[in-house]
Amino acid sequence: MTSTTMAENTASAATKVGLATGAAPFRLIRRGLVYLLLSIAAFISVFPFYWMVVGATNPSAEIIKGKATLGGSLLTNAATFFAQVDAPRIFFNSAFIAVIATALTLAISSLAGYGFEMFRSRVRERIFGLLLLLLSIPFAAMMVPLFVMFSQAKLVNTYVAVILPTVASIFIIFYFRQATKAFPSELRDAAKIDGLKEWQIFLFVYLPVMRSTYAAATIIVFMANWNNYLWPLIVLQTAENKTITLILSALTSAYTPDYGMILFGTVLATLPTLIIFFLLQRRFVEGMLGAVK
Amino acid sequence: MNRIASRRGRLLGLALAGISFFSVAAASAGEISVWVWDKAFNGNTMREAGALYTADHPDVTFNVDDSASQDDIRAKLQTQLLAGSTDGLPDIVLIQDDIAQKYLQSFPGSFEPLSDSIDMSVFAPYKVAAATYDGKSYSLPFDSGVTGLFYRSDYLEAAGFKAADLKDITWDRLVEIGTEVKAKTGHLLLDLDLNDTGVIRMMMQSAGQWYFNADGSLHVIDNAPLKKALETYAKFYQAGLVKPVSGWAEYTGTFTSGEVAAVPVGVWITATIKANADQSGKWAVAPIPRLDMEGSVNASNQGGSSWYVLSSSDNKAEAIDFLKTVWAGNKDFYQDILIKRGAVGSLLAAREGDAYKASDDFFGGAPVWQDFSTWLSQIPSVDYGTFTAEVDSAVQAQLPGIIAGGDIDAALQAINDQAQQQMQ
Repeated sequence: MTSTTMAENTASAATKVGLATGAAPFRLIRRGLVYLLLSIAAFISVFPFYWMVVGATNPSAEIIKGKATLGGSLLTNAATFFAQVDAPRIFFNSAFIAVIATALTLAISSLAGYGFEMFRSRVRERIFGLLLLLLSIPFAAMMVPLFVMFSQAKLVNTYVAVILPTVASIFIIFYFRQATKAFPSELRDAAKIDGLKEWQIFLFVYLPVMRSTYAAATIIVFMANWNNYLWPLIVLQTAENKTITLILSALTSAYTPDYGMILFGTVLATLPTLIIFFLLQRRFVEGMLGAVK
Repeated sequence: MNRIASRRGRLLGLALAGISFFSVAAASAGEISVWVWDKAFNGNTMREAGALYTADHPDVTFNVDDSASQDDIRAKLQTQLLAGSTDGLPDIVLIQDDIAQKYLQSFPGSFEPLSDSIDMSVFAPYKVAAATYDGKSYSLPFDSGVTGLFYRSDYLEAAGFKAADLKDITWDRLVEIGTEVKAKTGHLLLDLDLNDTGVIRMMMQSAGQWYFNADGSLHVIDNAPLKKALETYAKFYQAGLVKPVSGWAEYTGTFTSGEVAAVPVGVWITATIKANADQSGKWAVAPIPRLDMEGSVNASNQGGSSWYVLSSSDNKAEAIDFLKTVWAGNKDFYQDILIKRGAVGSLLAAREGDAYKASDDFFGGAPVWQDFSTWLSQIPSVDYGTFTAEVDSAVQAQLPGIIAGGDIDAALQAINDQAQQQMQ
């Protein structure tokens, strides 16, 4: 909607200018094309979301036929979902794993990022380079050895097994290191002169200054953990320990899937990430643009 | 990005290994755990079997877990067997027949040979053959994918065809029938998905062939039934009888909405078709057509799965005794799961029960279960080998060219080359 009105405004503005210059019709067409493409792109990215919400209100048979308008089966779908899935337990699993993993990841990875940037040395650069190299190893290649480790540690089918491999995230370390480059070293020097110890500087100076970076990282890490699929799939064994992502996948593969019920579950599973995103949205954008002003 | 664990994470993992908070106790003795992938079908069927056994053996209970999809179960089995760690694996697991050989051959010793303690001659021979490796059979056969040609009797009658006209015909004859149905009623004959080789595989199996030789090597280039199947597949498209679909939802939606006149498919589709109660009496089932060549019969298979006992199980003896008592011995149980879940088991004697003898008004009062169990015993045995999935995807890659009238021999060569590459 907004993009159309904007297009109209720009179009009329362009016409006015166009009276004076001969190149205006071209600009008009170019503008038009740009907005057309943007509208198409916006439609493509919004439509699946719309489809998911609308699907949750329709019975399975209607969804298969391609009905894309609101229906009256929301309550039926909800009832079926809650009857088939132990929702409180499953959502608790997902939330517990995602929250603890996010907190630990932020704590450990931001410390590492801070350390790599503040205490530079040739050896540490080597280690950092090695870490970046590790980013290129696909997880599938590490799955079997990782499983052997957790199996020997008797941690298979526990939350710990899901959380531990994610807490030292190389990407987040890298992200914090990049952000720390913008952290004014004068602040640290001043704090040192005032007699603060390194951990105090980190806690009382660095952390408040970098809160936008933390906010952005929270969204990224929370989403990755909430949606994490492959490793929880392998390491969680019993139904009562599984996360919502795994349960949704299982529901989809039934011989006669109830799409209305599945889409209802999908909407529920999307909510937490959505809420976190909207709560931290302003900071997220700031964090992405560069945290320190 | 977070899936990538750093070394540090792993070291920490070892360091914290001693703290096993949140750890969940292993399955208690006397509890048989089972992994299945569909709550309504194989899940509830297994729960019912378990309840029957527990009634006579109160010390043995069952924990049927249907919280993973079939792909998920495969991924877990594969990872754990590769890791050599059987921690948390169930006592009994359901595996689809056409993938079973992969597990039996890749992980020898991981599954219990059931033919040592259970008489396999009571089951449909082709099901037993699918799980036989090195002279021993490892599975307790569960649901059969015995195929039939489900068709809209009202459409065919309108075009002048009776049930007898569809009995024991060839696929070529079906093309002729379909052409007339389309001309007289306007309905297309079939809906087919180019990403699904199901129909081609059932055609091939009806002639007792699969993608492989006895020694496991590829049997594609001079595989006459496969060539014939691809030719026949192309004929449906060239005669304009196919509604192209994509994905499972559209595939089932097309024939349940009455858009096409027929669907050649495994018996497990019955529940999906019967879910549309308003179409009662408008459907019928004929034997699956055969290929127009020597050795092809009017019986084949699509899908189906079986129970396997893991050697790592702490309850092996109980699990095997359970399978033997209920699944290999209780005829009444098979009547029950047929009525309640539409599950056609592989126990040949089940056909003597009441449920199998009953006729079904949905299918015009025909004794469809008796028919299916007759066809079940006629299905040719084939060796599904270990690389069916790889050849399948090679076949899929050639289908668009084949239906456009491309050269079949060239396509077979291309399938052979692509599959060969992936099998190395």
